[in-house]
Amino acid sequence: MTQTRAIMLNALGLYAVALVLAAAFAAQFVLHELPCPLCLLQRILFTTLAVGPIMNIRFGPRPSHYAMSLLAAVAGAVASTRQVLLHIMPGDAGYGSALLGNHYYTWALIGFIAAIVLIAAVLLFDRQFEDDRVVLPATGGAFAQTAVWLVIALTAANVVTTLLECGFGACADNPLVYELLKRAA
Amino acid sequence: MEFTALFLATTIVMLVAWRGPRPLAAGLFAAVLIACVATYLHHATDTLKLSF
Repeated sequence: MTQTRAIMLNALGLYAVALVLAAAFAAQFVLHELPCPLCLLQRILFTTLAVGPIMNIRFGPRPSHYAMSLLAAVAGAVASTRQVLLHIMPGDAGYGSALLGNHYYTWALIGFIAAIVLIAAVLLFDRQFEDDRVVLPATGGAFAQTAVWLVIALTAANVVTTLLECGFGACADNPLVYELLKRAA
Repeated sequence: MEFTALFLATTIVMLVAWRGPRPLAAGLFAAVLIACVATYLHHATDTLKLSF
C-alpha cells in the first residue's frame, strides 16, 4: 500500500468516526435519548480515535500515529465493555433503545474492536511509511480535508450539547432533561 | 462538566494536530487520553446499582 492510498484510507476512517458521532446525535435529537456519563465517555474516545488519522493526513503515515489510535480504541473498548457488563444479567432491559437488536454501547464495543483489527491490518503494509515520491497536496486533498473538518465540527458540537445536558455540575447518571435549558426555563 | 471539558480538550487536540506542531499534538493527545482513563476510573469506582 502506497502512502497516497494510506492517506485515503485514513480519510475514510475519519468519515467512519463522523458517521458514529452523527448516529449518536441522531439518537439524541430524534429519539430524545440523552447520553449517560459512560455513553459520553465512549463518544469522547471515538473522537480521540480520530487524532491519529488527522496526523497521518497532515504529517504522512507513521506507526506512532496508528499507535495513538490503537490506545484510544483499547480505552474505548474497556469503557463499552463495562457498560455491556452492567446490563448483562437476563431480564435487564439495558440503557436506552436498541438498534438492530443491540444497544448503542454494544455497537460501540463492536466499533472499537473493529477499529483495533483494522488499524492492525493497515499496519501490516510497510510501504506506506516510505516516501512514494507522489506530490500530495499539503493536507491530503479536498476529500481528506472535508473529513478532518467534519470530525472537528462534530466534536465541537458535542462540547455545546454536553454543556447543555450536564450544565456546570456532574452529569446525571440517567439524564432526562438538558440541565442548562431547564435552568433557563 | 468533566465531559464537556474532555470534548473541548479533544477539539483543541484535533486543531493542533491539523494546524500545529506534531510534538505538541502528541503531548496533548497523551494528556487527554490520561484524563479519559482517570474519568473512567473515577466512575468505575462509584457504587453501582447493579441489576442482580
